[in-house]
Amino acid sequence: MFIINCPYCGERDQSEFSCGGEAHIERPKQPTELSDDQWAEYLFMRKNIKGIQFERWNHIHGCRKWFNVVRDTSNDKIHAVYKMGERPPIK
Amino acid sequence: MLNFNSPIKEEKKYNDLNIIEVEPIIKINLRSNKREFSTKIGKILSILPPNEANTSSGNEKFNLLWLSSDEWLIYSNDKEMSLDDQTNLEDKLFNEISKLNQGAVTNVSDHWVMINLNGNKVYDLLSKSCPYNFNDFKNKKGSVAQTIVNRIDVILHHKEDDNLNLFVRRSFSEDLWLWINDSARFI
Repeated sequence: MFIINCPYCGERDQSEFSCGGEAHIERPKQPTELSDDQWAEYLFMRKNIKGIQFERWNHIHGCRKWFNVVRDTSNDKIHAVYKMGERPPIK
Repeated sequence: MLNFNSPIKEEKKYNDLNIIEVEPIIKINLRSNKREFSTKIGKILSILPPNEANTSSGNEKFNLLWLSSDEWLIYSNDKEMSLDDQTNLEDKLFNEISKLNQGAVTNVSDHWVMINLNGNKVYDLLSKSCPYNFNDFKNKKGSVAQTIVNRIDVILHHKEDDNLNLFVRRSFSEDLWLWINDSARFI
């Protein structure tokens, strides 16, 4: 269990949130021109990093807003939280 | 409002804790990210929607709760408000906001059940199954929190010291009511 600082509501327990998986995956500009393998790569393949990962989270039991989190998956330490559409504060 | 049968039929009193459902009152959900929206709400209700997170604004008749950066909940303080007045209010908001594409107005009177909890043991009760930190909430009149109690989504509105209104979805209200009463016996 850990605390997430929702950019809209403030600090809340992790149980109020839902993780939406890896962030910053761009949708292909011309999906119809992709092969099945390329489409499957976009849809299903994720990095699943042990270490610092960029993720999307939703405050599902609160304001119901989506935002991005930079989390270390090995120890659940959160390095940054930023709103959708904003640039990651760390690389 | 619908002619519903509430699953909660009684007022419960424990040591330092009273629990009662408050109904019928009108509840209206507002969504908008337009600039003119606040002014329009101010003209209709004489209250401005709060922009600060986890806060509320209100007057004698209505309370306006912050739910999100573009979402608010209005509820009436007046149990005696006539059905005509409720319909007029909803129509006025709908015509001024929804029809002019300034946002969305939805009557959620039958969607939420409002339970009033008051007494010294209110926060002891909620803390039994709620991950929310009430330290700031209980010291600030008008605070609002959306969280989970016994894994059920709720909205909490701080009315006065040790007196708060809890909103729960109708379909979960009986379950939460039973949990509250069960837990209240042990605090």
